[in-house]
Amino acid sequence: MDDLIKLVRTYRVTVGLAERLRLAEAIFRLIESDLRAFVFGSITNDAAKKDALQEVLKAVAVSLKNFKGDTVKEFWAWCYRIARNKLSDHFREQYSERVQPLPPDELLQMMDVTAQEKPISPGLRHDLEHIIKLLTANKPDCSDLLWKHYVIGFDYAEIAEERQLSYDNARMKIGRCLDEARSLAS
Amino acid sequence: MSELSQKEQLALHDFSVRYRAALAKQHQTPEQSLDTVRDAVREQYEQEQEAKRSPQIEPPSPSKEREPDEPER
Repeated sequence: MDDLIKLVRTYRVTVGLAERLRLAEAIFRLIESDLRAFVFGSITNDAAKKDALQEVLKAVAVSLKNFKGDTVKEFWAWCYRIARNKLSDHFREQYSERVQPLPPDELLQMMDVTAQEKPISPGLRHDLEHIIKLLTANKPDCSDLLWKHYVIGFDYAEIAEERQLSYDNARMKIGRCLDEARSLAS
Repeated sequence: MSELSQKEQLALHDFSVRYRAALAKQHQTPEQSLDTVRDAVREQYEQEQEAKRSPQIEPPSPSKEREPDEPER
């Protein structure tokens, strides 16, 4: 991850187009899959999520020289802030596609896709199924919170900013959603 | 209020890693994504060049060169 922030810092001070293109490509090869996970976890419609991802990538690329931070954590927070804003725009335009968790069977199929390289023991499968139940058992709003906190990795402060809540309210809401998910999943 | 148990945390970590790996595998060559990025970088570069050129054509302005906007909310 140190490489990422080095690349971003170098990009910021690079003047020539060819070098910028090379650096941008290297940066996006490192961040594309995480941004994809974020966008694809937020939208269910196949065509819409691909368009939204391209919008997010473009917005991050255009603003890359404006990033003012110095750490990987700051960079990711900045990327996700841009992504959230873009998705908010997207949802305002196409409200019917508002966050719906991926269905559990689809998530299980995704786990199986990785089993060839990294086998899934029966015990692990059981644990993964439990996690998928926790992430998908709730109403969409709660599932979205759990997904963003536990899968994407937003901390309470980032969730609070996104939901316009206080830090403590964000923490308590996530706790309540987890409680609710446990009771629904059991 | 619930917290994830250690076992759940481990399973969740494994889930997240596999989820990202599956997405990467399903979309192995993000060529479309890289094209989008290249276009955006070129566009940004051209805007900068244009901004550098324009003061020579227009009457001198006391204002500083404007930084590109952050994406709007």
